[in-house]
Parts: sequence; structure tokens; C-alpha cells
Amino acid sequence: MSDIRLEGVTKRYGTFAAADSVDLSVTQGEFVTILGPSGSGKTTLLSLIAGLNRPTSGRISIGGRDVTEATAQERNIGLVFQSYALFPHMTVLQNVLFPLGVRRIGGAEAGRLARDALKLVRLDGFEGRRPSQLSGGQQQRVALARAVVFKPDILLLDEPLGALDRKLREELQVELKQLQRSLGVTTILVTHDQEEALSLSDRIMVLDKGRVQQVAAPTEAYLKPANRFVAEFLGIANFVGLPDGRQGVIRPERVRLMAAGQGLPARVVEAIYLGQMVRYHLALEGNQSVVAAVPFLGAAHAPGERVSVSWESADVWPVT
Amino acid sequence: MKRRTFVGAAAALPAVGLLSGGARAQSKEIRMIESGGASGESIQKGYIDPLFQKTGIKVVRESPSSLGKLRALVESGQTSTTLFELGSGVVLQAKKLGLIEKVDWAAVAPAAMFPEAKDEYGFGYQYFSTIMAWRKGVKEPKNFTEFFDTKAFPGKRCLPDYPHYCLPFALQAAGVPIDKLFPLDVDMAFKKLNEIKKDVAVWWKAGAQPPQLMKDNEVQYSICWSGRVVGDPAFGLSFAGGKADLSFICVVKGSKPDDKAAAWKLMHEMSLPENQAKAAEVISYTGPSPDLDKLLPQDKLWQFPTSKQNKDVQYFENAQWWADNGEAVNKKWEAFKLSL
Amino acid sequence: MNKASRLEGFGFIAPLLVLMVVAFNAPIVYMLGLAFWEKGRGFTLEHYEGLLEAPVYLRVLGNTMRIALIATLANILIGYPLAHWMRGLGSRGRVIAIALVVLPFWVSILVRTYAWIVVLGNGGIVNRALQWSGLTDAPVSFLYNELGVTIGMANVLLPFLVLPLFAAMLRIDDRLLQAAASLGAPPRTIFWKVYFPLTLPALAAGALLVFILCLGFYVTPAILGGGRVPMISNLLDTLINQIPRWEQASAISTILLIVTLAIFAAYRRLDRKASA
Repeated sequence: MSDIRLEGVTKRYGTFAAADSVDLSVTQGEFVTILGPSGSGKTTLLSLIAGLNRPTSGRISIGGRDVTEATAQERNIGLVFQSYALFPHMTVLQNVLFPLGVRRIGGAEAGRLARDALKLVRLDGFEGRRPSQLSGGQQQRVALARAVVFKPDILLLDEPLGALDRKLREELQVELKQLQRSLGVTTILVTHDQEEALSLSDRIMVLDKGRVQQVAAPTEAYLKPANRFVAEFLGIANFVGLPDGRQGVIRPERVRLMAAGQGLPARVVEAIYLGQMVRYHLALEGNQSVVAAVPFLGAAHAPGERVSVSWESADVWPVT
Repeated sequence: MKRRTFVGAAAALPAVGLLSGGARAQSKEIRMIESGGASGESIQKGYIDPLFQKTGIKVVRESPSSLGKLRALVESGQTSTTLFELGSGVVLQAKKLGLIEKVDWAAVAPAAMFPEAKDEYGFGYQYFSTIMAWRKGVKEPKNFTEFFDTKAFPGKRCLPDYPHYCLPFALQAAGVPIDKLFPLDVDMAFKKLNEIKKDVAVWWKAGAQPPQLMKDNEVQYSICWSGRVVGDPAFGLSFAGGKADLSFICVVKGSKPDDKAAAWKLMHEMSLPENQAKAAEVISYTGPSPDLDKLLPQDKLWQFPTSKQNKDVQYFENAQWWADNGEAVNKKWEAFKLSL
Repeated sequence: MNKASRLEGFGFIAPLLVLMVVAFNAPIVYMLGLAFWEKGRGFTLEHYEGLLEAPVYLRVLGNTMRIALIATLANILIGYPLAHWMRGLGSRGRVIAIALVVLPFWVSILVRTYAWIVVLGNGGIVNRALQWSGLTDAPVSFLYNELGVTIGMANVLLPFLVLPLFAAMLRIDDRLLQAAASLGAPPRTIFWKVYFPLTLPALAAGALLVFILCLGFYVTPAILGGGRVPMISNLLDTLINQIPRWEQASAISTILLIVTLAIFAAYRRLDRKASA
């Protein structure tokens, strides 16, 4: 259980910077998500933290110890891949025992630790199976058990749920969060899925082209994005002009929808039902478009219908 | 034994398949399996071409020949191949196994021949010699006693990997004269071989090996086939104490009568000294006519196995002795080889 | 698949099966039967008794097995690091490396074998370099002994080991190795506990193939061994084409076949145990 600190971490491949002067500090027990589109450098950053790669410049420390030049096996990190990376020639139990064997923990103690880890991910009884005999979700749980069984200082998760279907993914998100909280292990998750990032993390770091765009709590990043990229990458953003001539962003949930004649006149272009919510794509005067998300209360406006919209100016967050 | 064609064997296999699949022409055509290489070309130029010019009979050649192949041909009951080339020792084996027909010498009506070439079961068409040779510049042995004297004649040896080549030479080294070689004193021969085996760098399987090894200076002295070394200024050689042997053309058991008739005609061509002289232009192995010497280039008479000067100093292979004792000797040979 | 269509499928394959049985299996059975059955005399075990009485042929067989084993081990020692090195190359380097490994396939075995004489002979490139550099005074005997045979056979058979091994190594996900490193394993442990076990089935299959091919080698031992390395195929050639004792050859072939099958069965057993 340790804190992590990145200072000016840069990784160049030729002239291309996969990570460009990244600063980040994660406190002990915190759950931070690195979020960005594919190619933004988030996996590079993770491999630098894990020690699979060395930075071109900058400094990485874990628990106050400079590990910039340390190898992966010197860092005591639990790493989970999207592809699970289970050893196919070993049973579930052997997979989980592997990091213990490396640490010269054997015998009854190793068996107990492995069984505890498997119980933690609700896979007790599967010890003798081979990875090929498990479902995707079960394999990912084995990978998790293997990554936490040796009580790592840090847990790194590289798109761990990316290969699973939506329902399973949502279930495992809950489990993952509970697991992380009960272990209290400092965790960094890498994902391109902004919903996953928002629902799991204490803080998120948005990355684009190797550069940090914003580090903030999920709600803050969502409602108060540091720039246009963050605003657009995290959910749907309405851009509106501010009196001082700057641009501001307002989220669809903060847009109020009313009967015609009460605010700005608008026409319903499209109405999309999302279960508890309805998302309206609206056209304002001057061809400006706005998206509003309102609770579904049994009746909705049809496309073509005339309505009006309004919002609190306090809900508009200026962006550059 | 595949006398000259160890090397050619693999390359020739596809050709066999191609040829035997072809349809028979209208005019008379028979097939022959011979040992291939320059020897096959000498058969073509010396005997097959003249036969075609005189009679229109075509002979199609395939190679290589081996006893195993002949046995497989006969036991499968096929009659498409009429003529088969066999070494002198193998003729006896083939006769014992009933794989070849008697030669109808009356039908062949040959010109004059050396008696050993006129076998009941085969036409001895080509003499070849196994002799000593050396790389130019080394001390030259005059006989096999000297050849095997590795102290007085230092240098690496290359000997055939076949007992019926090595043992009689080893006995000569032990002092046995060439007319007293058979029956072979096998134990004495192996004793001599054991004495010099440390100086034998290579035991050859392919006739192409000894001249190449001498050229590369891997070995300095060889026992090898005369046709591989004569005429090459890089080598010295002597027929003294060498082994003269015959290759036979035989008729495959069960051949059709008209095919056999064509075969007798080819054998007749093979007996004519003028044809043998043509064959000797291709290869320096010679046919069985006692009248051949005067038709050969006089400056090259020293190269041929049957020229008077050479035939007299060699011994002739005793195929019958090998047929009776070959297997027992071979076991000793294998044991000897394991002791190297 | 229902019964009718299965029968129909068999109908299509039947001519092929007949061809296989007639063209390949029947001659082998006939050949093996030769040792037990003699025309006019019926069943006999005399040829096997002959083998026991004259154990020199069995010693040649044993020698062949020993040489095949040495050549196979040499192949593994060269082939495994080579395949591993090829795995680390870029895509272009891999293509070039594969081409170089496969190149000997396209060259006649005789040419290849003679090429070794040019390289390793007394006046060959290696010996001249050794003497020029003063490392040795007299030529080193690389050829015309078991070393020469081993080198020649390893060269000829290397692709049979390297190609399946390389394919198996390529299939190993780099992330497995990264995972092992992140779990704390040092490089040696990663190799022996993860990488090597994953390549083991391909290594075993390749080595078995090489071993079995070695047993039947003919040209290379005859030329590079200088006739000093008796191999079973040369002995069989003598017994079939010269002496001729087909019955004895058949008895030896039968023993060779049984030994080969036994090795194969042992491999299958191990393989099944490993994957169970």
C-alpha cells in the first residue's frame, strides 16, 4: 500500500512522444483512472509505472522510493491485462501460486493465501481447472486473484473489463470497486470507457496525445472540464456563448425543457429513450443545436414538436 | 553395387517414373535399366544407336540398376523391362533367385569374346578396373605392399567401403600373389586392414569421392575405379595388382519372346569391336573383344582395363567365391567398421 | 452427420484408402513378413535368431540410435536459441531468417553435404582460418568422423526443428511474459516456468521428427562420416542390393520400426500426461 508519484515522465519513440511530461500523484489507497482515446498514451504510461518500460526522462516513485530504473519484478505491483494473460499450461491454483513461488512463499501458507484470493473473487472450487475451461469473466477474476494474492503495493488494471459483454462488465465493475476498497490497495485503472472511469474512480486523469488534460474527481471533470477536449470526451457537451464572448459548456442534464413560450424556443429533432431518461436533440434559432436529458415520466415530446429550453448561467462552465 | 551411380541415383528417380509410364511405339522398342551416367551414354553411342540404324529397334534406357529393383520387377510380374545391367557378383545372386533368363548365345551369334564375358546368364559388356591412384607429387607405390606401407609412403588413404574391394588388396600387401588370392584368407586380410586403418581417412561409398578427396588434398592415396582417374594430370596411377571386373547385361525373367529376340540383337552389336571402340570414346572402360586394342587410340592404351599391358597385371574378380562367402564376410566387415 | 451422409463420405474417400493400403501399407507388411515366412518352408524365426547370434547388426542399429540421439541433441542446442532469436526479430528480419533456415531445403542434399567438405575439410575455410590465426598447427578433423556426421545431419534437419518451434514461440503472447515479470519473476524464472513449458510440446514434436529422420540417414553419414560411422540404412542397402539377404534386412527393419513406434508411443504418453 503506497502512494505513487510521477514527475515529468516522458517516453519518446523517435520524435513521437507517447507520454509527454506527465505529472501525477496518487495517494495511498486511492483509485485513479487514466482515461483517453486509443493512442493517447495511457497504456504506455501504465507500462512505465509497471516497469515493463523505462521512461526517456522524468521520475517515478512508489511509496517514496525512486523506482524509475527498477525492473518490473522489483516493484511489487499487481498487474491485470485486458487479455487476462493467464498461463495456459497451469491450473487456476498454479496461476495464483505463481507470484508466491517467485517470492519463496510455499507450503501451507501459499495454499492458504491462494485459496483466500480465489475466495475473494468467488472462484473457490475452480482450483484444478485450466484457463481454457473458464469463461471470460472467470478468467478475469483469476487474473485479479493472481494480481492481489501477494499483497502488492499497487494494483494496475489495463482495460480489465474491455473484453467482456456489457452486463458482465457492470457486475464486475461493482466487484472490482468492492475488492479495491476492502483491500485498500492503491489502484490505477486504464480505460477508454468514460462511464467506467466515472463510476469507479476517486479521481480521473484525462490524457490526449501523451499530455495530461485534466486530473480531477469524476464529477468535477464532468461538470467543470478543463478544456474543450475533456468536455467532449466525457459524455455529451453543449457549447453555448457567454456574455463575455467566451464559450461555455453545459451538460444535457442541466438543460431544462419546458412547454413552448417559456424560454428559448426550440424544435425537437430527435427523442431517444434511455430507460429512466429521455435524450432530446433540439434545434434552437440560428440553427444552434442543444442536447437535453430529462427524466422519463410517462410522456414525451415527439420530433417536430415546439418546446422551449433554459438553463442556469451558474451551470455553464467556461472553457477555452 | 551401384558402381558409378551412387551420386546419380537420387537424380535419376523421377525419370524412371516418367519413362515407364509412356506408351509403346509401333516400331519395336525395348527397355533397359542400366547404371546410368557416362556408362549409360557409352551404351547409347556404342550399341543402341548402331542397333537402331541397322534394324530400327529402339532401346530406351533408365537408371539406376540394383538387385533390389530387379527382384521387385520380377516378383511383381511385370514384363515391360527386358534388359538389366548387373555386376558380376550380383549376376550369381540373380541367377540363384531365378530373376534372369539364360542367354541364347546361338541367337546372339557374337564376334570373338574373352571367355569370362560369355556367361550362361549374361553378356559381359564392360570391363572396369579398381586400381591404386595417388595425388601427383607424393612418393609413388609400385604395388600394394608399398601402397599399404604407410611408414615408407606417408599420407592419408581413401579405400572403398566394400569388403570385396578391400580384402584382396590387403592380402596382396601381406605378400599373397594375385593368382593365389582366392580362396581369400579373410582373417589375414582383416589383420592387415587393422594395421593401417588409422591411416585411412575415408572409406568411400561413391566413386566420385576418391578423385575429389585427392584433389582437395584430404587424402593422398586411393583405391578407386580406373575410369575416375585416368587422363587427369592431377593423378598418378598403376594397374599393378588391380582388380578387373565385368558388368553384365542380363535379360529379365519372364520377358516376352519378341522382346528377347530384340535383346539378342543388341547383344550382338555389343560384341562387335568397332562398336566397343565407339563406346570407349565416351568412357575408359572397355568391351570384351580380344581384337579391340588395335581399334583404340594407341597413345591411350595404358588407360583401358583390357589392353594387353593392363589385363596381364590385374586379377579377375572371383564372383563365385563372394556369392558363397559374402554374407559371412560382411558380418566381419560390419564388426571391423564398428571398430574404427 | 447422419448415417447416410457418413456412408457417402466414406464412398468418396474409399478409393484413396484402397490406394493407400495397396500402394503403401501392403508392401510394408509384405516386407516385414519376409522375415517370418519363407517360400516352401513356412513360418520361421530363424532370421531373428540369426540376429541374436550375430549381434554385429544389432550393434550397428545401436550405433545408429546413438548418432541419431547426438544429432537430435545438437539440433536442439542450435535450433532452440535460433528460433528464440528469430522470434525477437522484426517482421522483415523474420522473413529473411526463415528464408535462410529453409534455404537448405531447396539445395540437393548432395550439394549441401559436399559444401561441408569445402568449409570443414583439411584445406577448408575453417581450418585455413584456424591455422592462419595460429590457433592450431595441424588441421582439425571436423570431417570423416561422428562429428562430421552430426554437423551434416544437424544442418540438413535443422528446419524440421526450427520451423515448428518458431511457430510455437510466435504464438506465445508477449503479455504472458510481461505478466510474469510484473508478478515478480526474474528472467530465468520467466524462461523456465512460462516460456519453456509453452514451447515444450513443439520442441518435443520437432525433436522426435528429427530423431526419426536421423535413423534413416544414408547419404550424409556415407560422405561426411567417411564411411567410419556405420548406419543402419547403409547396412540395409548392402543386405538388399548386394548380399542379398532380404529376410535379414526385413528382420532388422522390423526391429527398427518397433523401436521407432515405441519412442513415438512414449512421446504421446508424455504429451497426454502434460496436457491432462
